[in-house]
Amino acid sequence: MKKLISLLLAIAMVLSMTAAFAENTAEKGTVIYGSSTEIGGDFAPGAWWTNNATDKMIRDMTNDYFVTTTNQGGQYVINETVCGGLSSVVNPDGSKTFTVKINEGLTYNNGEAITAKDFVWPMVFACSPVATEVGAKLTGYLTYVGGQDYYDGAAAAVSGVRLIDEYTYSVTIVADKIPYFFDMAYVADHPFSIKYWLGDAVELKDDGEGAYIAGLTKEAVEAQLEFARFHAGEDRVSAGPYNLVEYDKAALQATFVINENYAGNFEGQKPSIEKVVIVKAEDATWADQIKTGAFNFYDTITDGSQINTALDIIEAGGFEYVEFNRAGYGMLNFQCDFGPTQFEAVRHAVALLLDRNEFANTFCQGWGGVVNGPYGTGLWQAQEAEEWLENTLNSYAYDPELAVETLVADGWIYNADGSEWTEGNVRHKKVTAVEAGDYVHNVTLADGTILMPLIIEWSSSENNSVSELLNVMLAQGEQTKAAGVQINQNVMTFTELLNYYYRDGSQGDKYLVPTYGMFNLATNFTPAYDMSYEWTQDPDMVAQGYNLNRLYNDSLDALTMNMVYGVDSTDPTTYMAYWKAYIMLWNDILPQIPLYSNVYITLYPDWLEGYEQDSFWDFNQAILYATVAE
Amino acid sequence: MGKYIAKRIGYMALVFLIVSFLMYSLYNLIPSDPARAELEAMKSTLKPAEYEQMYQDLRERMGLNDHLVIRYARWMGLYPDVQDQGFNGLLQGNFGYSNFFKQDVIKVIEAPMSNTIFINIFSTIAALSITIPLGIYCAVHKGKKIDSGVQVVTMVGYSMPIYIIALIFMFFFCVFWRIFPISGTKTAGAIYANGWEEFVDMFKHICLPVIVMTFASLGGMTRYVRSSMIDALSMDYIRTARAKGLKEKVVIYSHAWRNALLPVITSIIGWFLSIFSGSVIIENTFSLNGMGKLYWTGLNNLDYELVLAIQMFYTVISLMGSLLMDISYGLVDPRVRVDK
Repeated sequence: MKKLISLLLAIAMVLSMTAAFAENTAEKGTVIYGSSTEIGGDFAPGAWWTNNATDKMIRDMTNDYFVTTTNQGGQYVINETVCGGLSSVVNPDGSKTFTVKINEGLTYNNGEAITAKDFVWPMVFACSPVATEVGAKLTGYLTYVGGQDYYDGAAAAVSGVRLIDEYTYSVTIVADKIPYFFDMAYVADHPFSIKYWLGDAVELKDDGEGAYIAGLTKEAVEAQLEFARFHAGEDRVSAGPYNLVEYDKAALQATFVINENYAGNFEGQKPSIEKVVIVKAEDATWADQIKTGAFNFYDTITDGSQINTALDIIEAGGFEYVEFNRAGYGMLNFQCDFGPTQFEAVRHAVALLLDRNEFANTFCQGWGGVVNGPYGTGLWQAQEAEEWLENTLNSYAYDPELAVETLVADGWIYNADGSEWTEGNVRHKKVTAVEAGDYVHNVTLADGTILMPLIIEWSSSENNSVSELLNVMLAQGEQTKAAGVQINQNVMTFTELLNYYYRDGSQGDKYLVPTYGMFNLATNFTPAYDMSYEWTQDPDMVAQGYNLNRLYNDSLDALTMNMVYGVDSTDPTTYMAYWKAYIMLWNDILPQIPLYSNVYITLYPDWLEGYEQDSFWDFNQAILYATVAE
Repeated sequence: MGKYIAKRIGYMALVFLIVSFLMYSLYNLIPSDPARAELEAMKSTLKPAEYEQMYQDLRERMGLNDHLVIRYARWMGLYPDVQDQGFNGLLQGNFGYSNFFKQDVIKVIEAPMSNTIFINIFSTIAALSITIPLGIYCAVHKGKKIDSGVQVVTMVGYSMPIYIIALIFMFFFCVFWRIFPISGTKTAGAIYANGWEEFVDMFKHICLPVIVMTFASLGGMTRYVRSSMIDALSMDYIRTARAKGLKEKVVIYSHAWRNALLPVITSIIGWFLSIFSGSVIIENTFSLNGMGKLYWTGLNNLDYELVLAIQMFYTVISLMGSLLMDISYGLVDPRVRVDK
């Protein structure tokens, strides 16, 4: 027994010793960023290999000097810190040449000068078959004139990418990608050190026929690329506001300090927060992690209950928050080429049977709203057209009676035996053989009449709180049953759901059969609002996974194509006209029912001043403007 | 003995091949398309014809158009690789390529494996050093208050899910008393002057996960040792030893414990082999980068080469473990011959 007591005392002593170590080391001036996505450790430019959200943030913190970039509202602007001149000309063959003049005096974090070569080699590399051989997902050869020939080995240089002098280069974009409203994105290039990324064995050259990388083979660059992708430390060469001085792979922790050579972002803004550390935040324990100082910054809290927890932490002191709207929404997505959901009236009726305001309020716990079209309130287009959106669009406010009227007007007036619909039964509609298709629930009467029942097969992913709430409020709702509508929930894995959604025959023949008319999914928009091909009617493209709503409408297709491929980037007025026309038509046809658009919050320490964030203005951009309170 | 081991290794190779084929086939039965997943993020930036061309090229490069048996043979290193036409599979030491991390699996596994081993070594040693003496003590003092108390505590520890234990311990040790850090293996932004500082920092971070893992494993082994010892203590030779006037310590440790060890030895070896396997729950709760979490990440992201590599590694460990257990029987108990 004495020994047991001795052991307990020894344990108590060890505990009290370790208690001294466990003090919170977060100091004022150091942002410890809790990331809900763990760091993957691949810091290659763009998404050459991987597309992890936290890795992207790290890349963006350490690599800037984009020639064109997006501003706080998500609109493309010229980065005057980097670009001393940007001109463009449309060539007789329809291609477009951009000529870029780089400002002198820019340097990497190691003091080496940045010249036009540093902007050009990544474009040439993106046209090279070596990029594919090393596993990079680069498609530059499809964008630049002469890129495909270089990729195929038919040309020794990329004729559309030219190194004009030490600080000037030009890029020619292929004709079939011009005009394009977001063509500024084609010159959103930024510099990388060829020595750091590809090594000493290669060199960028232009002998007058176009730019090329001399000595570029898989063997020559593979090892250096592998090193450069995953390396962190003082010797990592980059040109962004921060230097990635350490990445601890075992602890999944990245540490940044200010890059003293950074000349500023497109507004000349430089960071003043000395140190940023990224650590992993766990969904189940993030609140305790913040309370105990494991991190002091939690970005983009999306869930209503988590937001309320965050507000309790803020109330206790030491933290502030910023709120912003999501540039996207969760929705019910219809497939419109078979079954009841092929009929516009049915889609309208489903929208009218769901109290979307109540749904959004319940799901987001007060931190969200409803949109009435394919946009998020964070989009600059939506902000510019805010009043128009509010006054013009049909909000499909909860109205079961109107839902019934809509269905009756569309012919959903029969019972399964062909008699007039009576309460308590599922509504049926007389349909043609083409409309009927092979829908499993169809009923054929003795006289050959085909009746389609208003039974919607709904594919919903497992462990999904949206699905659960939808089931209660819509599928099992009394108003739905009373209207004669039956919605069958089919719970499956998300992979299975996607296979049905894509009708992916490569995964099994059963997926080729149109089975589910309704899916609950979510979407987010990027600053380049480009819906071209989303409504294509080309069967080959549809088979490839375009137009997943399977809604074939000439106007939708034309509007979305013209919106981006029929308008020059200098003409935002025409672009907005197309955008509004598209939104209005979409709202009428209703291929989706937007359910909720969240309001997000970011929690930050109260000593941080001037921190502003929105859906297109991320942490890596916003932190440049933040300062430490005196 | 040598012949027996050689024969067992031959069986192990056969079992390994069967298991590997079954596992590979099972994962390939899951309806998913790695090529589509790979290109999905780029879809909006490509024109349809470009997307289709890239998709077909990628399927070809990934070997997805080949028959399952050919893909399996290629993965094992029994069939030429799509790109370099060489034999470059599991049998040649190539554990595969992680589609999620875009890196060789062996490199992806390095850091989580060392974390897992580091944590498990401590928890295994701690658990064995508590459970064995405790089990013996309870058996010797069977029916006394302390034995009953330990039985209750071990039963609670045995019955309670580990995530509940983790959350309760976390609340008291991290949030309430602030004794241990709540997550990770390193203080955020810490710069160490030397390796010892780094070790101490890591040690304090893993203390609580180790305590939780130890606590959760106390119940089973303590009760196992206790019952084994009770059986041994009831034997005639113990009565004889006591009758001879041997000291109680000698009776317990030299006579009873050596005999009680026989059934316990398999569990002890099993525990030591488990130092390679991570705990999904513990690692996710404490934000530790270990094998359990990596396995979970691999499964969630349909990264089958990574998951298969981990599973084949555990298959080898299990096969070797069972061989080791059989051999250890012979070593511990001379009556058992393991040469047939």
